[in-house]
Amino acid sequence: MILAIETSCDDTCAAVVGAEGELLANVISSQGIHDRYGGVVPEVASRHHLELLPAVVDDALARAGVGLGDLDALAVTQGPGLVGALLVGVASAKALAAARELPLVPVDHLHGHVAANFLAPSFEPPFLCLLASGGHTLLAEVRDHGPDFGVLGTTLDDAAGEAFDKGARLLGLGFPGGPELSRLAVEGDPHAFAFPTGRGVAGLDFSFAGLKTALLYKVRDLGEDEARARRADLAASYEHAIVEALVDRVARGLEQTGLDRLALGGGVAANRLLRERAAGLAPHVHVPAPELCTDNAAMIASAARFVDPLPYPAYVGLDAYATGERAL
Amino acid sequence: MIILGFDTATPATAVALLDGDEVVERRHDPEPGERPGHATRLLALLAEVMAEGGVGWERVDRIAAGIGPGSFTGLRIGLATARSLAQSRALPLVGVSSLAALAEPARAQADRVVAVLDARRGEVFAAAWEGRDQVLAPVALAPEALAERLRDVGSPSLAAGDGAVRFREQLEPAGVVIPADGSPLHRLSAAWICRLGARAEAAGPGTVLPSYLREPDAHPRQRP
Ligand SMILES: [Zn+2]
Repeated sequence: MILAIETSCDDTCAAVVGAEGELLANVISSQGIHDRYGGVVPEVASRHHLELLPAVVDDALARAGVGLGDLDALAVTQGPGLVGALLVGVASAKALAAARELPLVPVDHLHGHVAANFLAPSFEPPFLCLLASGGHTLLAEVRDHGPDFGVLGTTLDDAAGEAFDKGARLLGLGFPGGPELSRLAVEGDPHAFAFPTGRGVAGLDFSFAGLKTALLYKVRDLGEDEARARRADLAASYEHAIVEALVDRVARGLEQTGLDRLALGGGVAANRLLRERAAGLAPHVHVPAPELCTDNAAMIASAARFVDPLPYPAYVGLDAYATGERAL
Repeated sequence: MIILGFDTATPATAVALLDGDEVVERRHDPEPGERPGHATRLLALLAEVMAEGGVGWERVDRIAAGIGPGSFTGLRIGLATARSLAQSRALPLVGVSSLAALAEPARAQADRVVAVLDARRGEVFAAAWEGRDQVLAPVALAPEALAERLRDVGSPSLAAGDGAVRFREQLEPAGVVIPADGSPLHRLSAAWICRLGARAEAAGPGTVLPSYLREPDAHPRQRP
């Protein structure tokens, strides 16, 4: 049984997962407070992690019906992410483990997103995995349980979820506006405007910066009143372009690798249009539950099952890392 | 009573084990240009003092940790560690003012003592005592403003801490006495975190948080 802690961004998370990958508890405390700043404030996120973490850990243990003495190991997100936020989780996990001389498993956040698929009932490799969120846009070839996987494509600029949020802001919606933009898009015509999908980008990489700029110009061209009147059409066309960009790379990735299994992850995996389009791309498509697609500690515990644990005291000097050990 | 105490408010990582009157201390002071070792050294130093003191976790009675003010990230590493050690072993936890621990050894030498830490951005974190009374509560302010406050009270103050060393030029004209740069009085000792922690009332780990003394800079960033 593994207790995992994840604090790479603004969600304070702890989870307990059993030896067979069964999810016993998954606690996510979303800070929310960042919405009023229009983005995540690293110092604010770090302060909240420190305040919230002991209660979140206690809650996860209580929901799983276990104590620290029942654990085989602890796991923690080591990176990538906001380093000040990660350090709260890493210091806490190290101390919780060290005081009981338990092993500790350092986990890469992206391996965690992939490993959300290995929670019981497991979606087994090999498969192609599309991770799309406010922080990541990644097309991965997953041949085994990891920790390593092949990166087929990544974004050259904005992440997919970031493109959603920036588009929402241009349309006068709140932050984070991605889900709101999608709600608005339901009433609009996805073919009303032709926005770029980054098809010119070589290989399987993504680019969303041009899309955001195209929306900015379109809103300007239409003028304030017209842009407001056609907000639903703008939202629908914009969403359509993001989803087509993702679907295009996934389709080509499946063809290139010969894989017939596809998994989605990240907050954008909750997008209705993306899920509809993905369903037609491969005979086997898996999307974890929404709370396992966005940042969570269950996926970190799941990944930890496939990483060599560090025995006490090998991890006392463990540090967090801000940017990927992997090329991302 | 056996107390494990540490402080991460300054660039140093200071650790001590207090067993009755016996103290075992370890510290890491970064070289100029070197990053603080809080993240990578703290737990290793704790293991060292416990090994040297021959004390296992089952014998530790209490944890005491410096709550600052000081480096935001350093304080969080120290207090995340303290809170989690306490949580893991169900131990009482005490938060100790880092400025009070810094001032303690100087208070044996002078009646009026001011603890001064470099707070960056041209400011210091400071607190002052006269005899038993705290006459300046922990505050972040410009060294010139601190000099002005200390001048007001008349009799000279003995200053301790890296902020006193750094802002010697601003403070000495106000009659502040600052020991030589290499004086041990300028170094925050974890033994004093333990001793002050022994006297204080222990609280639940959830109540022990950093004394930041500053609001966070609200520069939003996209989700990484
Ligand atoms: Zn993530």
